[in-house]
Amino acid sequence: MSNKVIPLEAIPDRSGHTVTIDGRNYLVMNDAMFTFYQRSMGELSDFFLALRDEKKILGCRCTKCGMVRVPPFVTRCPDCNFAPVETVEMGDTGKMLATPPITYFANSLFQQQVPFGRGRLLLEGADTALSVNIYTTKGILVPGLVKKGTEMKVIFRDNRVGEITDIFCVPAAELTADQLAQKGLTASALDWETSTEPALPPAGETEAQHFAAVLQELQALVGEMNGCERARKDIAGWHRTVLVKAAGGEFTLKIADGELTVEPDKTGPSDFVMVCPDPKVLLDGLAYRGSLTQAIMTRNLWISKNIEFNTIFKLERMARSLARSKKV
Amino acid sequence: MAKRVGIVGAAVTPFKGKWYEKTYYELAQMATAEALADAGLEPKDIDGVFYGIYNDIFQRTCIPEHPLQGIIGLQNKFGMRVSNGGATGAYTLSAAHAYVAAGRFKAVLMLGVEKATDCFDFQSMSATPEVIKTIGWSGDSFFEQKLGWTAADSYAEVVLAYKDEYPGDLKPEVTAQISALLSEQARSNNYAQRQFDQVTPEEVLNSRIVVEPFKELEICVYSEGAAALVVAEEETARAIANQTGQPVVWITGVGESNEHSFAGRNHKIMHRIISDHIAARKAYEMAGIKNPLQAVDVVEVHDAFVHQLEITMAEMGFVPLGNADSLIEDGLILPGGPLLLNPCGGLIYSGHAVGASNIMSAWSVRNELIRRRLKTGLVHGTGSTIAQYGVVLILEHD
Ligand SMILES: [Zn+2]
Repeated sequence: MSNKVIPLEAIPDRSGHTVTIDGRNYLVMNDAMFTFYQRSMGELSDFFLALRDEKKILGCRCTKCGMVRVPPFVTRCPDCNFAPVETVEMGDTGKMLATPPITYFANSLFQQQVPFGRGRLLLEGADTALSVNIYTTKGILVPGLVKKGTEMKVIFRDNRVGEITDIFCVPAAELTADQLAQKGLTASALDWETSTEPALPPAGETEAQHFAAVLQELQALVGEMNGCERARKDIAGWHRTVLVKAAGGEFTLKIADGELTVEPDKTGPSDFVMVCPDPKVLLDGLAYRGSLTQAIMTRNLWISKNIEFNTIFKLERMARSLARSKKV
Repeated sequence: MAKRVGIVGAAVTPFKGKWYEKTYYELAQMATAEALADAGLEPKDIDGVFYGIYNDIFQRTCIPEHPLQGIIGLQNKFGMRVSNGGATGAYTLSAAHAYVAAGRFKAVLMLGVEKATDCFDFQSMSATPEVIKTIGWSGDSFFEQKLGWTAADSYAEVVLAYKDEYPGDLKPEVTAQISALLSEQARSNNYAQRQFDQVTPEEVLNSRIVVEPFKELEICVYSEGAAALVVAEEETARAIANQTGQPVVWITGVGESNEHSFAGRNHKIMHRIISDHIAARKAYEMAGIKNPLQAVDVVEVHDAFVHQLEITMAEMGFVPLGNADSLIEDGLILPGGPLLLNPCGGLIYSGHAVGASNIMSAWSVRNELIRRRLKTGLVHGTGSTIAQYGVVLILEHD
């Protein structure tokens, strides 16, 4: 990731091209509008400094009506004819005000963070809700995991810069009693490795046969992908060992800098686990007959680490690359 | 005493996914020339202009309206830009109405234009992510933008909160049917971006989820285009109507409301779109409407998302909150039903050229009132974060 406020790879070259419509040429120029800021956080500085330096969340309480607003977005209460407010320190647990949406397809600025939830957290004792990002430590974030009323804990990132993204939330149920009680709990103190795998349905002879057939087809497909320059480029520099569990059996999917391999059974330690009751879901996604992202959202495919959605994205890109190169 | 204000001319350009052939200068001039021609007027007959232009970044310039003043032949006259998120067009109508009703002008132009898809993301080599990013700058800049705020996830917050309260409403089969119905209706709109993109409810159900619960075919499409209206005070309007032979369509009710953008007690009620409720109530009061379902024949509701369309229809009093699905299940908006809803195909099929969208909706309502000899129409606009802005206008056939 670039350290610049605009990632260098997002910036186009100074050039243009011509589009011809009905025999007329139209000039299309690469262009940008950009403005840089040294933006003061003004009266909100206390809030952001407290996040960054003290791992604390500040709110404000109206001295007249007692309304507690978080974040402290006013210095006077507009409901009480602008009576002054006082700063209060909030706790870091609360409940979701409503069921939060989850973003899977983000623009380039947020591509590294998907899938993420964004919702409104009503901290204990607060009257207004704080917009927060929502994650899970127990696998991939899917609809239904966090709902209206779900108890949440605010987690502080280890590297804080004084922005609202210095914090995010996870369901309180995923934490130990000690962690819940701890103030200013940081991301590195959480267990991101132990996920809760969904149970596979019982498998019989039919499932085993189906699994074997799918595995065979998958191996053929992977062979094609390895022969496709475009698809190879999509996983250049990427290394992952994925244990895939399906009803009927397990196999290992290896991604090694442009090379994709499928090996029967478990072949040692893996970076993450993929669970798909019907292995055809994975096959269809890689064959560009279906979407892996869609399968995740509909709970037909599960991965053990939210951050590995990036790997899913790369696999989907490979599927598209192979499909496109076949078309040509 | 406020003057009566009526629409005497209207025009739209085709709404397209991309207008390589025209800049927003030319789109604006096209719509203006045709709207004036429709009213049988020339620039010299117009006292001023209200511009509906949503986003400076889309137009790639600040004060995007200044070059237009001379381009549309209104140099040295009144010109004012309105910018209110998605509700820009409806708020432009509201502003123009107020000035004319106050007696400041005899006849004015309302001009909405947007070049929404010149933005381009060079990493994915496609426009859409950059369009979404551009709109993403509209989220609260201190507390929300950096969390990945988008228009879709913001409206999804409201819809999911509504579903928390009314889990049985906004059924996927119903939202799919509404989308399919709108796609059918777009067929007769020669200016629609997706005029011939008819879809079945099954296709909608199977389209990909963009942000839960919104599917790709339940979301408005970003567009480029312009729309213009000519409105005039009563005496002038009647004189124009005598010349053109087209009846005046009167603006008889106007209501607006902007909610709190923070949620909680005494703040935004997440499961409501109170702005739409208040705006409708005010507009009905002004127009003397008691029962909207009885009084209104045609509605152009701003359908950013089908689910929001349903909630808005409930907030405006056409169906009960919690049973918005009765729009379909009781046949209210089906062919032959009592209500004509989004005959232009809505913004989902006609396209969303933001500043021009609600003006296009008014153009559509006027067309339907005149063509089908209906009495009363309603134009709605929604916008900003968590459906914060709501505007409702009542239009009536002379
Ligand atoms: Zn107060």
